[in-house]
Amino acid sequence: MSNPAETKPLPIKVITISVVLIWLFLAAFPFLWTMWGSFKVEGDFFSRANWFNAITGPVTERQHGSPFTLAGYEGAWIEQEFWKAVINTAIVTVFVVIISLTLGTLGGYALARSGFKYTFWLLMAALVFRAMPHVTLVSGYLLPFFQLNIWGYLPTTIIVLVAINQPFTLWMLHSFFLSIPKDLDEAAMVDGCTRFQAFRLAIIPVMWPGVITTGLFSFLLAYNDFTVTSMLLSQENQTMIPQINAFLGSTQEEGKVMYAVAAVVSAIIPLFVLILFFQRQIVSGLTAGAVKG
Amino acid sequence: MARLRLKNVNKRWGSFVGVDNFDLDIADQEFLVLLGPSGCGKSTTMRMIAGLEDVTEGEILFDDTVVNDMDPKDRDISMVFQSYGLYPNLSVYENIRFPLRVRKIPKEKHDEMVMEAVRMTELEDYIHRRPAELSGGQRQRVALGRAIVRRPNIFLMDEPLSNLDAKLRVSTRAQIKNLQSKLKITTVYVTHDQIEAMTLADRVVVMNAGKIQQVGTPTDIYDNPANVFVASFIGSPAMNLVQGTLENGVFEAEGIRVEGLPLAVSGNVTLGFRAEDAEIVEGPAQISSPVYSIELLGEASMITWRLAGSLVSIKTHKEYRADIGAVVNAAVPASICHLFDTASGERIAHG
Repeated sequence: MSNPAETKPLPIKVITISVVLIWLFLAAFPFLWTMWGSFKVEGDFFSRANWFNAITGPVTERQHGSPFTLAGYEGAWIEQEFWKAVINTAIVTVFVVIISLTLGTLGGYALARSGFKYTFWLLMAALVFRAMPHVTLVSGYLLPFFQLNIWGYLPTTIIVLVAINQPFTLWMLHSFFLSIPKDLDEAAMVDGCTRFQAFRLAIIPVMWPGVITTGLFSFLLAYNDFTVTSMLLSQENQTMIPQINAFLGSTQEEGKVMYAVAAVVSAIIPLFVLILFFQRQIVSGLTAGAVKG
Repeated sequence: MARLRLKNVNKRWGSFVGVDNFDLDIADQEFLVLLGPSGCGKSTTMRMIAGLEDVTEGEILFDDTVVNDMDPKDRDISMVFQSYGLYPNLSVYENIRFPLRVRKIPKEKHDEMVMEAVRMTELEDYIHRRPAELSGGQRQRVALGRAIVRRPNIFLMDEPLSNLDAKLRVSTRAQIKNLQSKLKITTVYVTHDQIEAMTLADRVVVMNAGKIQQVGTPTDIYDNPANVFVASFIGSPAMNLVQGTLENGVFEAEGIRVEGLPLAVSGNVTLGFRAEDAEIVEGPAQISSPVYSIELLGEASMITWRLAGSLVSIKTHKEYRADIGAVVNAAVPASICHLFDTASGERIAHG
């Protein structure tokens, strides 16, 4: 058995490899550039004299005695208390994921097994709400939230994010459940399970890739959200993304933009860890389920 | 051990009738086969017995208990599914143990019970494998093992052999028959394959379009089909059926004339006879018509005519040769004929 890639003619090989390399460069370059630059000062990273300064860092060396500095990170994490935003983000994402998955697995299972015609319309309605720009929903929430005096708190934001996210988790988990044969539930029920035990003991163990994939997408929605969090959270309850945006907005003061750059890099790291950790389940989830991405 | 009674059971979805007035007594330890084409309601009947489908009307009784409103788990049944329904994340051993685990049977008994079921289904070499690592036949044996591990009151089998290839089907069929006679458990078996029904059943229930067509022993339904549907469904090849008229004990249709039939009946009738009962003869006989086709089956040859629009086949010895189109005669004495009313399809009399 020879690998099909090895039997291809040379020009094809050259073309495919270079396309992959170009894609890799385009995809990775902004991130690598930002990461490298986060250890420089503003004068280098946003250098007007020579863009190459961002790589060598002469201003950084003049100011800090070395071409690398942790000044950006220090400013963001300690001076501006970015760690508070990190904790807030952690709270928001963890709760959004847990609530979305709980409701999503139960609801998706029920919809997949109910067999009534209204399931289709429920899912269509869910799709419509999912397709709406988030900001349309948020603007409607603002006034009632002010009047009820629940604006600015984390739980409020969590509820709104779950509401926005739920249609998607329902859709995705619904199609995962559909791919699991009904015989499995029925076998479990005949073997002595209640409906819920069948769900818990027979279906969920098979569903892990689906649950993890859906969980990851819920996580990303909550983690990356800007519209909802920036409009519904008060200054002291700010999560990471609006906080980074605030850093970027304050360009009057020299060096503060670098806080944003350092914060951006800090915010990316957990995503890498997460995807590396769950990559096997995510891949099998994406290929097994009917919903791709 | 249980006797199973279905009293005028109906299943309807809106105006669609799935099962129509199913009424049957199944004796303790009986092997009952529900046989019919797909969509005839046989699986629905079984699913109602299992509790996976609600009964629209009527009663299902296990011994003297009405089980209509019982959950499947409370009915003390076990079921084998066509697609096996194995738990893909569990090993063979754990799959078979699953019913014991969820039913809270004391842990120390598990190993003995599981290993007994493993021995009976000859799965000793595979107990640590996952279902994905097994062949179809082995998977179906795991499903069987899971069904017998608990010694339930009633076994339900929903087309357990239809996903297996022909060779495995024969050996698994024998194994099911053997297991049932050893365990002496009332069994309801659903299939669309009449050979499975004939070989396994104590009694066969032939169903069509939601209705019971005939209940009887395999010999019974083979020798005395109650109507045209049963006649055309049972046997391989199925019974030959020719539409024609009966007058003064003489049946006539294009290419066939049978004398000596009952005098009491007349009008439009369908004449039926089995391919193996008739024989090819020289000289004048009941059938005299050009041959439509000749097929070699290996152990026999099959001669086919086209009589009054329907194909009629007769089995003869394997060396027999005839040209297509040549006139061949065959003896169909009145004694082997079955008569059915053409309009209603019901059996009239045995000639």
